[in-house]
Amino acid sequence: MLMVSPAIALAFLPLLLTLIIRYRYFFVLFYRAVLIRMWKDCVTGLSREERAFQYVLTHATPGDPDSILDTFDVWCSKVEFISNIGPKKGKILDRLLMEHSPLTVLELGAHCGYSTVRIARSLPLGARLYSIEMDQRNAAIAEKVIRLAGFDDDTVELIVNPSDEVIPQLRSDYNLERLDFVFMDHWKKCYLPDLQMLEGSGLLGKGSIILADNVLFPGAPKFLRYIRKSGLYEWRIHRATLEYSKGIRDGMAELVYQGIK
Amino acid sequence: KINEHESKTHRTKRRDGDRQKKKRRNERRKGGTRAGEGEEDLQAVSEKRERSKRKRAKSKQETKDNDKDVVRLECLSPEELEKLKEAVDERKKLIQSLRGKPWAMKKKLVTLRESQEFVEKYEGALGKGKGRKLYAYKVLMTKKWMKFQRDFENFKTACIPWEMKIKEIESHFGSSVASYFLFLRWMYGINMILFGLTFGLVMVPEALMGRPYGSMPRKTVPRAEEASAMDFAVLWDFGGYAQYSVLFYGYYNNQRTVGWLKFRMPLSYFLVGVGTVAYSYMVVIRTMARNANESGVGDDNSFNFSWKMFTSWDYLIGNAETADNKFASITTSFKEAILEEQESHKDDNIHLTRFLRVLANFLVLCCLAGSGYLIYFVVRRSQKFALDGLENHTWWERNEVNMVMSLLGMFCPMLFDVISTLENYHPRVALQWQLGRIFALFLGNLYTFIIALMDEINLKRKEEKIVKFNITTWEASLYNGTVSENSTASPVTIHPADVPRGPCWETMVGQEFVRLIISDTMTTYITLLIGDFLRAVLVRFLNYCWCWDLEAGFPSYSEFDVSGNVLGLIFNQGMIWMGSFYAPCLPALNVIRLHVSMYLQCWAVMCCNVPQERVFKASGSNNFYMAMLLVILFLSTLPAIYTIVSIPPSFDCGPFSGKNRMFDVIHETLESDFPPWFSKVFSYASNPGLVLPFILLMVLAIYYLQSTSKSYREANVELKKKLQMQNEENKRKNKRAALKAQMDLEEARMTAQEQQRNNNASVQDQESGSLNSNINKEY
Repeated sequence: MLMVSPAIALAFLPLLLTLIIRYRYFFVLFYRAVLIRMWKDCVTGLSREERAFQYVLTHATPGDPDSILDTFDVWCSKVEFISNIGPKKGKILDRLLMEHSPLTVLELGAHCGYSTVRIARSLPLGARLYSIEMDQRNAAIAEKVIRLAGFDDDTVELIVNPSDEVIPQLRSDYNLERLDFVFMDHWKKCYLPDLQMLEGSGLLGKGSIILADNVLFPGAPKFLRYIRKSGLYEWRIHRATLEYSKGIRDGMAELVYQGIK
Repeated sequence: KINEHESKTHRTKRRDGDRQKKKRRNERRKGGTRAGEGEEDLQAVSEKRERSKRKRAKSKQETKDNDKDVVRLECLSPEELEKLKEAVDERKKLIQSLRGKPWAMKKKLVTLRESQEFVEKYEGALGKGKGRKLYAYKVLMTKKWMKFQRDFENFKTACIPWEMKIKEIESHFGSSVASYFLFLRWMYGINMILFGLTFGLVMVPEALMGRPYGSMPRKTVPRAEEASAMDFAVLWDFGGYAQYSVLFYGYYNNQRTVGWLKFRMPLSYFLVGVGTVAYSYMVVIRTMARNANESGVGDDNSFNFSWKMFTSWDYLIGNAETADNKFASITTSFKEAILEEQESHKDDNIHLTRFLRVLANFLVLCCLAGSGYLIYFVVRRSQKFALDGLENHTWWERNEVNMVMSLLGMFCPMLFDVISTLENYHPRVALQWQLGRIFALFLGNLYTFIIALMDEINLKRKEEKIVKFNITTWEASLYNGTVSENSTASPVTIHPADVPRGPCWETMVGQEFVRLIISDTMTTYITLLIGDFLRAVLVRFLNYCWCWDLEAGFPSYSEFDVSGNVLGLIFNQGMIWMGSFYAPCLPALNVIRLHVSMYLQCWAVMCCNVPQERVFKASGSNNFYMAMLLVILFLSTLPAIYTIVSIPPSFDCGPFSGKNRMFDVIHETLESDFPPWFSKVFSYASNPGLVLPFILLMVLAIYYLQSTSKSYREANVELKKKLQMQNEENKRKNKRAALKAQMDLEEARMTAQEQQRNNNASVQDQESGSLNSNINKEY
């Protein structure tokens, strides 16, 4: 019989406290992203994205991308949690877009349109953004958000299909010659295959920039290992914290395609 | 055609030349003994040497020739010998002065090699007549000796235990982690010596020459315990046969001498106990003094950033990942330094930081008090269990004290670490706080344990009184019984297992310490296996199918916790020092433990840890560890000395049984083994009238030495200042000289422009000017 005495159990108290204090951000994240979501899903019968859209619709100024982004930020930090790129990492994205002013931009994983609006906002005139989203319902919401922000079909084209089906077709279906900027924020496991597919399709030219979000948390280890080894890229990692959360470290990988030397 | 012809002839000529050379060589090989040709050949050879690059095969052949040369040189005329001698001397001189020659490195190397070969070749042949052979032999022997010495050095480094392992760890993890392993190895050495002392002077003599097992009550398992004495559970708790063996104090007999050697067992036991502690003090203090000498010179906050810039790289790092980490740590240290610099200029919201620091300390104190109370509670409970009889309780309850202490010792530091993030200290200061807190925790735990032990000792001594009374009545009844039966019969022989005996608090203390050490070791190893190895395995292999990056993110691999490990080691050693008087097996156990943990931890570090993010320089903090070791040594000898001096030994067990105090054994030896005058002298010497002045003298001497060392330190600082001043002065002087030279230059240029005719002179001036400045610079 293994009855552990209460004193021994008490001795584990410091460990418990330590774990709680050290990983408090993760617990908070778990609470906000999983528990609240499940509860709200049951209560409202709507999906999380739909709730977010409702909030944006009622609180933001239509036609004003900044207002829409701000409203999203408020909702994500105060009400519920959606893993958008967030305001802090978004600044890095903005800066990169301003610096390079790309003409053809591909976005993998539009989710509910936050990052799409963010990119489209800082694009130069005449630039075109192709945004790929796999999920039908999310894509519908993303479409609404994009239109709400005032971007038309000429600027943003939303493609509802899995990325691994779309990328090989980009050249033939959409007459693309070269991608200047690729933003990855979809399934972390797809980062590597999609990157390899992009390389294979020949759409990347010298100087094309690929920005991958969330490479540290939740993290894309295979992707990082690959870019370290491949030698096709000049790369760096912008360290930041996870969106709408202070204590969880995260990073964005910025890759500049160099081609085969 | 003509060209072709010419080239042909050229070729043939060359071939001729070759042939001639060959011929010459052949002649040499035949061993031509004419002196003149020898000389000529010598020149030829040396000429050939002058051509720098040669093929290997050729040189081989030449060495063959050289042997011949040496043989042939015996027949040289004195003049030629003289010449040769001069040549050799010249070469030697060249070798010595080579460093200062303004040549290219390549040329220097070539010349050096050539000259060495030349000297090597002809030196042996010099000397005169009969002495020549001896001289050659001498040279040969010195060379052999040197080679042997070099080989021996290599052998010696290969013999240093675990050197390669530690080097490997150092290359992967930097010097701070390696410092722990060096410390561990040092500890191992000390424990080896302690083990040698106790094993060679106490355990082996008793086992070989003392009375055998079963010959008397204290050396026999009592009848009641006999049935379970060989059970594993009992042996694991160091009861049963393990308790009644040389491993513990109680087994030793109080007979003054054992065996045909007349080995003074009790005296040896006492002196070994004192000697181990004295030796430990000596070693620790000596090491501290040596370390202090090494690190005493640098103070230096004056060039913080320069130091960081030029000295922060760890050149022992040999792998890319560690290099990355080191790079990161250097960057962070720069950031920290900059921040610190900024902070020293402005202080914002000092009240909040103060409040947080006070709060953190309050929390830590609460934690310490809580853990102290928990241990106290558990110890009291265990005493209750012991009164009830241990058999009625589960394994958990029996081992509660050790488990709780180990667990608290493991988890509380983590909590402290988390709390210390509140304080926002500089990492180095934070580390010191952390070390201090863990130290306090461990110390508190240890002393709670000791106080509980003291209670138990008192209980045992009360029991002892009752038992003593019982035994006398028992003996009386035995005696009466025999008398009444038959007065002439031989005394009744009773098996020693049946004889009633008194409790033995010394063995109990020894057992407690051994159990503590064992459970501590087990906890360490299990933590290592679960916390490091299992975690690493999970992280590594679950990472293929997990939804976030386990390696970079949340669980990650564990870091090697240098401070915690060092403190664990120090406290472990403290327990050894405390308990080894009552359990002579403790140093042996500790040696085994350290040996295993050396291999296990080396493996674990290389296999499942990642280098620390927060790196601190090892050399600086080494003396900090030593100081803690010294404190622990002091604190752990205190209780041991207290028990030895103030508590009378048990009457029925151990080498000092029957004496009033343990140290009476010295008196006894003085009286019976030394001539009377010696004991008289000793008694005079131990007279307080003599001891007190002696102590006073010692205090004075210490004071004197301390003040002199202080004055030396001050003088050092002064000298340093002086050097700095001189440096600055020199710099200023140089600057002035350079300025002057520049002025001269300008002037010269002016004059050159003005007077074309005096061009030469101006050039000279210019040259002298630049020369001047050069000299100044060098100066």
